[in-house]
Amino acid sequence: MLLNSHTTTHPWKVRPDGLEKVTGQLKYLTDMKTEGCLYGKIKRSGLPHARLIEVDTSKAEALPGVHAVLTSKDIPGLNGFGIADPNQPVFCEDLIRFEGDAVAAIAAESPETAEEAASLIRIKTEPLPVISSPEEALQKNAPRLHKEGNTLHTTSYKRGETEHVLKECSIVVEDSYDTPRQMHVFMETEGGLFVPEKDGSLTVFAPTQHGYKDRMQLARILGWSEAQIRIVSSPIGGSFGGKDELNVQPYGALLAVMTGRAVKIHYSREESVRAGIKRHPMKIHMKTGADKNGRILAHEVSIISDTGAYATLGGPVLNFATEHAIGGYDIPHVEVNGKAVYTNNGISGEFRGFGGNQVIFALEGQMDRIAEKLNVDPWSIRRKNLRQVHDYGPLGQRIVPNDGPRQVWKAIQQSPLWKKPSRERDREEPWIVKGRGAALAMHGSGLGYGIPDPSGGRLQLSESGKIEAAFGFEECGQGLISSMEIMLTEAFKCSTEDTKITIGDTALVPSSGSTTASRATNMVWKALQNMKQPFKEKLYRAASALTGESKENMQTGRGGIWKKGQKEETFVCSYKDLAGGEIVSETEFHFPVTPDAVTGGHYLYGSTAVVVEVEVNRLTGSVRVTGADHAVSAGKVINPIGYLGQIEGGSIMALGFTLSEDAIMKNGSYETPNMDTYLVPTIRDVPDTQRVDAVEELAEGDNYGPRGVGEIGSVALAPAIIQAVHAATGVRISSLPLQAEELVDERELLALMSEETREEQTG
Amino acid sequence: MSQPINAEELTVGKKAAIRLTVNGKSYELEIEPSRRLVDVLRCDLDLTGTKISCGVGRCGACMVLLDGKPFNSCLTMAYQCEGMRIETIEGIENKEITNAFLEEGALQCGYCTPGMVISLQGELEKNSHPTEEELKECLTGNICRCTGYGGIQRVLKRLEEERRKQ
Repeated sequence: MLLNSHTTTHPWKVRPDGLEKVTGQLKYLTDMKTEGCLYGKIKRSGLPHARLIEVDTSKAEALPGVHAVLTSKDIPGLNGFGIADPNQPVFCEDLIRFEGDAVAAIAAESPETAEEAASLIRIKTEPLPVISSPEEALQKNAPRLHKEGNTLHTTSYKRGETEHVLKECSIVVEDSYDTPRQMHVFMETEGGLFVPEKDGSLTVFAPTQHGYKDRMQLARILGWSEAQIRIVSSPIGGSFGGKDELNVQPYGALLAVMTGRAVKIHYSREESVRAGIKRHPMKIHMKTGADKNGRILAHEVSIISDTGAYATLGGPVLNFATEHAIGGYDIPHVEVNGKAVYTNNGISGEFRGFGGNQVIFALEGQMDRIAEKLNVDPWSIRRKNLRQVHDYGPLGQRIVPNDGPRQVWKAIQQSPLWKKPSRERDREEPWIVKGRGAALAMHGSGLGYGIPDPSGGRLQLSESGKIEAAFGFEECGQGLISSMEIMLTEAFKCSTEDTKITIGDTALVPSSGSTTASRATNMVWKALQNMKQPFKEKLYRAASALTGESKENMQTGRGGIWKKGQKEETFVCSYKDLAGGEIVSETEFHFPVTPDAVTGGHYLYGSTAVVVEVEVNRLTGSVRVTGADHAVSAGKVINPIGYLGQIEGGSIMALGFTLSEDAIMKNGSYETPNMDTYLVPTIRDVPDTQRVDAVEELAEGDNYGPRGVGEIGSVALAPAIIQAVHAATGVRISSLPLQAEELVDERELLALMSEETREEQTG
Repeated sequence: MSQPINAEELTVGKKAAIRLTVNGKSYELEIEPSRRLVDVLRCDLDLTGTKISCGVGRCGACMVLLDGKPFNSCLTMAYQCEGMRIETIEGIENKEITNAFLEEGALQCGYCTPGMVISLQGELEKNSHPTEEELKECLTGNICRCTGYGGIQRVLKRLEEERRKQ
């Protein structure tokens, strides 16, 4: 189904939170303040690697208007945070591992005073050699950044005999691929308001993708019980994975608790860049062998990721990259080895695509290189090697029957771009060449085997008689509230006025797990599957008690309960009539996982294929993406406008990853600390339209519902662009973002011009 | 700008009386004249519809209209606005733009949206029948990280078409 306002049969629904956003009425959590609140500021090391000898806060404390200056000595509980491994100190104690490391925090009466106080804090340090790359970190004599050494995590997966088989292959292609340190560039930088309540509890208003996880981590830092903390976590001005990890929360919480006053923090963009997480830069080496017919027989991969100073999700991201380096292809002999390595660089963590983007760029690049070497169509090479519906998953694990890769392989060929020639030279401006390329990917959803991934939700009839759905998910902008409203009205055949959506507040919602890994839509759907019948039963029972009608003849609908089975439906009672009673259903369950004990291995996957057209200017080397069409297999489309928006948005984020975005670090310091040097796409840098074709049919036996599409729009664009550039220019790019210099070639143009001159002279 | 301010008055920490007209309402504020307009709006006047994102005039989230023209309020100092007509998103009521944004799916997290609306409003005020290209031009200083501009481009198409029909 093509997704646009004209062709879709599904409702093209205006988002419920839209009007407030578009009129500027919506208060984001960083817009909030209270009368008399204090302002928080974090003092950061500014040094990538040093021994921390002393933090002198005396001058800052003496500054009028300063209410608290905290250091590591002031932490009541654990001095550490991190979703997977809490190895990032809230405040450094004795070792500084990156320039964004916090050494102290201040609460003052104005942001200016807090800033001034920060400048008065003196740190005594002894500089240490800076480890600015994973290669340096892995050298034997490299200083150890953590007690376990400089390797955070390794992965190794092997089946068959790659070494032997590669020798037997008709062709072997081998290349190294580099990917950039991409920034999330959520428009709303990190911040929030921290309010100590009269009863001794703490309310935290700060964006996050997982309120309950924040609560657990803050309780650990404060030495409190979780019940003493309430997290209000939506709406969010963008996250893309960048706000899943704690950021301002430890500082805001400690300052508020210590001063007994509300504290507001809002990072500047520069602070956000220096302190925040980024996409893991990866160096990927691949050696892939095929027979003369293009059947891939062996695939060897090594991955090194620069995880920066602390763990966060560096391990799981590497697991994901390891799995997706094999992809939706059926390859008999495979070996993948990965290493996530600590450095003194900025921290890498979770980012849309979760390590898939990097290795899919490499894997699809290999496909195109194989096709070139065999002189055959690159799309036919893929077809030859694609998984079959009942094949095992990339790591040899059992997965839900999945024909997604073949579906999207076929569907993308409906794109008008597909029918265009693979290379064209502009007649008017012959230095402009157009090229076309395509790529595909299969992408896991959920956290994968071996990682706790519980979910759940609650339905209740609210006091005002609304069917209220309460979930611990967050609205990051993706349109979850819309999708939930659609699913809820479908489940009860009721109107939106009959519903109430409650999310993003631990005081009001059950734990549902994280709003990550393209899981929220899928988990809401599953929860509603579990809850809707029991909830209806409770409604019918109450309606029966109230009216004497038999509950067997009831159905839910607009405004309340209706009699069913008659031509003229009659109203039994309104939802409001039933309000006040305890009508509640709850559910708890785990994200579906493979039965095979393969760490990180996924069970549910979506698939995508992308075709791209580019224009390359051979005089300047500049590349414009003039078309990018997508086919996506992710089950039923719940919310077309949201689905389309996620694919379009993910796609352009990947366009930036490919063409311009790189948070460059030199000696452990960011060289691109703001949006004037770190260039994200503008409206001038994107195609006029992107065609998105949703393949809704799931394989037989797949009853797992609609998958989220938060990530999948971003995973396959880079290799498609790079293949289009190759088609246009003959240049093979292995390193992202693409550098224009690589594509400048005036010789070709000069030859062309002299040819024209000759023609003119002879003609 | 109504009257020149001498350098002495711009000294950090030194406050002066600044008169601003925001959304038709007059304010007299005792503030540093070099205070950024974005901070005056968000912190002093609690008009948080104007967003702050890059702080260096690159992203457009803090766009406001000064005498009808779009400006980045992070690059504008309070004294520069003395005597000028400031309009923020709270003062804009333009259903033509807002409906188009809502119906075309032109916003997700929405943090860039007020700035986008302001830029478009500024363009439409000076240009009653803009081409899609002109509308695009006026948005080149507004970064959106969520939508990939797909929905926003649908808005521009629609605005151009609707205006052409008028």
